[in-house]
Amino acid sequence: MNYSLRTKIMRVFIYIFLVILAVMCILPMWILLVNATRTTPEIQQGISLVPGSNFVANWRNLTNRGFSITNGFKNSVTISVGVTVLSVYFSMMFAYGIQVYDFFYKKFLYGLVIVLVLVPTQVSIIGFYRYMSMLKLTNSYIPLIVPAIAAPGAIFLAVQYMQSVVIRDLIDAARIDGCGELAIFHKIMLPIAKPGAFTMGIFAFVGSWNNFFTPFMLLSKIEKYTLPMLVQTLRGDTYRTDYGSIYVGLAVSIVPIIIVYAIFSKYIVSGIAMGAVKE
Amino acid sequence: MSVSDVNIKRRKGKLEKNYYGYLFTAPFIIGFLLFSFYPLIYTFYLSITNTTLMSETSKIVGLDNFKQLFDDKFFMQSLRNTWKIWLLNFIPQIGIAMLLSIWFTNNRLKMKGVGIFRAIYYLPNLLMPATIAVLFFNFFSMYGPVNQLFSQSTDYFRSTGWTQGIVIFVQWWMWFGSTLIVLMAGMTSISPSYYESATVDGASAAQMFTKITLPLLKPILVYTLVTSLVGGMQMFDIPFMLTDGRGSPSGSIMTMNILMYMKFSSTKGHIGAAASVGVVIFIITCVCAFAIVRLLRDKDPEGTGVSSKVKSRELKKGAAGV
Repeated sequence: MNYSLRTKIMRVFIYIFLVILAVMCILPMWILLVNATRTTPEIQQGISLVPGSNFVANWRNLTNRGFSITNGFKNSVTISVGVTVLSVYFSMMFAYGIQVYDFFYKKFLYGLVIVLVLVPTQVSIIGFYRYMSMLKLTNSYIPLIVPAIAAPGAIFLAVQYMQSVVIRDLIDAARIDGCGELAIFHKIMLPIAKPGAFTMGIFAFVGSWNNFFTPFMLLSKIEKYTLPMLVQTLRGDTYRTDYGSIYVGLAVSIVPIIIVYAIFSKYIVSGIAMGAVKE
Repeated sequence: MSVSDVNIKRRKGKLEKNYYGYLFTAPFIIGFLLFSFYPLIYTFYLSITNTTLMSETSKIVGLDNFKQLFDDKFFMQSLRNTWKIWLLNFIPQIGIAMLLSIWFTNNRLKMKGVGIFRAIYYLPNLLMPATIAVLFFNFFSMYGPVNQLFSQSTDYFRSTGWTQGIVIFVQWWMWFGSTLIVLMAGMTSISPSYYESATVDGASAAQMFTKITLPLLKPILVYTLVTSLVGGMQMFDIPFMLTDGRGSPSGSIMTMNILMYMKFSSTKGHIGAAASVGVVIFIITCVCAFAIVRLLRDKDPEGTGVSSKVKSRELKKGAAGV
């Protein structure tokens, strides 16, 4: 009796703690979204948790000052979709190759992928920049998209996942029926691996969508800017006093991600666990 | 050898198409060599030259860049900052995540709404770091909500302590949910039969935690530690965008990566010097990461020594490749 009472009291305290943490996670975003709908004087007067009605005016203020948010949005979508498609397809291809065939440097390749996950690759950006500028590829999206064919994180996930879905008998049966190896991969394995590919795709997309460092190093033309690069300019002097439009700009950058998360949070949460546990 | 054995062998021989393995892994190998390996080697090369952005010619200056770097008090400061910011956000991060995952997986507490709480805690990790930086800059600005709330007018970004604290808090805020998910997955994968037999033997909750949970969770903890270290040593986005991009006030949030960018974007564009910062970050991170993996992996208490040895051998082989 006493024992269960103690458990009950403890549970109440834990719930209070959990709710405080949850509020800490949500409140900043909620204030952001609410402020996007309020006028600048309102924002300066104080915090409110109730939306205002100034969203349209804020939006106009933002876009009238040459903040080409639709353009940035389009650029970010182009890059992120490209990265997602390439990294999912080629990671699955690599994983299939590793799991189905037995060849002489297979173990080495897998070891290499593990090492690459643990190695800071961002620091080679200086060499990468210089190399791309020699090829006249700065201000192009090629250096931002094409390297996705060798994304170690995605490959690591794909290899773990492929291990659990590869069905050898099915592959053998397809071979007996005269199906080529590439066709087996495309027509049989890719459809089977769809759920995993989907989860990997979300991660690739979000990672590319949020990436600031690489585009920031490589792109200098303002019409090529991605969304994070545009968001960064919101901190500067042009908007310093116009808080309403700053918050609109910020809202545009996070609302798509929040929507994606609201729909697919189950896949995303299981995807994070996938990489760590099966190791 | 029976007839059927022979048949199986022949059938297998016919179906052996192992050379396709080369084809399927070729895109990765080519992509890796072109976009990761070559830039890395090239960065190492640049770090021993005096290349600048403008000059067409450059010459090899040996280890001069590195000598200058270690004499540079800004570099030493950025090194200290990076470690400080990483450690001070990682320790509470793993602490809170551990506490939460113990609560969430505890059979006696039977917490409800675990999935929702977990989903909420992970949300900050998905948001654009650029947005988060600008958002927190506004929150803590002179006339921002934080000052309004406490009716104060503290200039947080003039104080080195506050600014470092804000970066540490934001990093913690962004990452504790992710760590929680990983730890929870690890804890739920531990077989309940261990705990059952420990309960029968009269073990206390604390004993179960230190004798069962922690040892079995070790691979996951190592994974978390190493991935967080690799990310932390390259920290750039939040400290770069929170203040002026030079680690203001007085270089208190200047990380190594920011210093690298500052050297690169300086008027002369010291590519050689910037590359040497990159090389130092690379070496520090790799040495620490492999030391952690070696030290913590090989003392596996679970008797899975064989597999961990194979793994570390694979790592070593791979390291030789890099």
